[in-house]
Amino acid sequence: MNAFRMQCKMEIKRVLRNRYFVFWSLMMPILFYYIFTKVVNTDNLDPATWKAHYLMSMTAFSVMGSSIMTLGIRMVQERTQGWSTFIRLTPLPDPIYFSAQMVGQSIIHILSITIIFLAGAIINKISLTPLEWFLSGLWLLLGSLPFLSIGTLIGLMKKVETAAGVSNVLYMVLAVCGGMWMPLEIMPKTMQSIGHWLPSYHFGSGAWEIVQGGMPSWKNIVILFAYLVVLMILSKYIRRKQEAV
Amino acid sequence: MMSEVLRLENVTKSFKHKIAVNQVSFSIKKGEVTAILGPNGAGKTTTISMILGLLKPTTGDITLFNSQPQELHVRQRIRTMLQQVSVMPGLNVNEILMLIRSYYLEPLPLTDLIHLTGLTEQDLKTRTEKLSGGQKRRLNFALALAGNPELMIFDEPTVGMDITSRHHFWQTINTFANQGKTIIFSTHYLQEANDNAQRILLFKDGSIVADSTPQQIKSRISKKAVSFLTDPDTSLEILYQHPEIEKIFRKNNRVYIYSDHTDRILELLFQTKIGAHDIQIESGNLEEAFSQLTGENKEVI
Repeated sequence: MNAFRMQCKMEIKRVLRNRYFVFWSLMMPILFYYIFTKVVNTDNLDPATWKAHYLMSMTAFSVMGSSIMTLGIRMVQERTQGWSTFIRLTPLPDPIYFSAQMVGQSIIHILSITIIFLAGAIINKISLTPLEWFLSGLWLLLGSLPFLSIGTLIGLMKKVETAAGVSNVLYMVLAVCGGMWMPLEIMPKTMQSIGHWLPSYHFGSGAWEIVQGGMPSWKNIVILFAYLVVLMILSKYIRRKQEAV
Repeated sequence: MMSEVLRLENVTKSFKHKIAVNQVSFSIKKGEVTAILGPNGAGKTTTISMILGLLKPTTGDITLFNSQPQELHVRQRIRTMLQQVSVMPGLNVNEILMLIRSYYLEPLPLTDLIHLTGLTEQDLKTRTEKLSGGQKRRLNFALALAGNPELMIFDEPTVGMDITSRHHFWQTINTFANQGKTIIFSTHYLQEANDNAQRILLFKDGSIVADSTPQQIKSRISKKAVSFLTDPDTSLEILYQHPEIEKIFRKNNRVYIYSDHTDRILELLFQTKIGAHDIQIESGNLEEAFSQLTGENKEVI
């Protein structure tokens, strides 16, 4: 138990000390949020709705980023530097190691969500009901699972450089095409029809619904879940193939 | 009666195109310090990886403390230092040592670790990614000792160490050996095996070609010789008959006589009066003899 607590603590410390994480998952979303709700005029929408909507977009953007990039790149690093082998040779049981990573990652997500929500509340005095704050936060936390499995897929790559490159591109494409930077509704028709099949859109969409007084649709849940299942099977398959060699 | 820590029985590991380890069997008792000696590619690393449970033998059995290598209670009692230096980025040395110590039931106190490995206060506060090569090796050594293991396995531990750290490393290992810990290390330096092990397993092409004390191995592979010049027409037949002489041959007019008792040979040379002059006694070069034993050239034996 002591080992588990220690492992969680150290995992969190490591993420918080990671400059990429602090920049991409905390500073960028807050900066974007400030620019697109304060500096740039978006007069085609009701301001109050837009401010809450965009706060959800940016929080989703942040959580998606740390799921894909922070987790994936770190996994590759640990493997290439021999750390994974080292851990395998210690008496730390594998399930404890993995659950500590997951708990650590979740605490990081809760932290990101809290910080960005707070920033939104301070910058634009957003007023949501406590239940709406809670539910949207919870949605963003649970909805990150498919992106965590993308992260583990990235984590199977051989080189840190490839993993960093691929995850960066994937992250940006998912964010832009999923309507996180600007609403899908103002994009060309083809972009919209692609976007509606991306997990990032459904991830954001669930939170957007909640802050407008609704609930995530079944479609949001089903598509995110489908992505999760497919990605997990895929990573299991690749892992097995790698081990066979 | 000492208890058995490790046993390998007919262990073979074959990769796609080659057999890396071939029908290896040996067992190691508690408190033994054993060197796995052999040239590169002899199967040392593969054998160690199998003992650690990182590779599965193709056939054969490996047991550690009467269990399979992968079991957690085995992991509690063994520790290794891998060839590749591994660090976890984002933590400082102190944090990483605390983390690893938390995995073990009876970890070594931090002060002992610092004392044994020569880590400094400054090192403890340094993030692992900023450590120099030497600091990384000290950390790696500290990580290997953190769990206070009963069995320590080191794969070529001194590769890349300077003389001072090498000396310090072996000093520490000897301290542990005196405490009754079991130690296995691999090396391709005969000298290192000779100085630090009580037992040498000599590997060649994936098999054990010798398993004995350093003294026995040395006497087996290092032959002393007497060489001298003599008239090419002189017959050496009189010497051939003598039992002390193991081998005799001519090379560039010089006659070489191999024997364990060079003094007796000298006596013989003077008695037989075959006109030997410019006599030299050559005590065999250990490293050279070793490379001849394990290399392609089998002429010596």
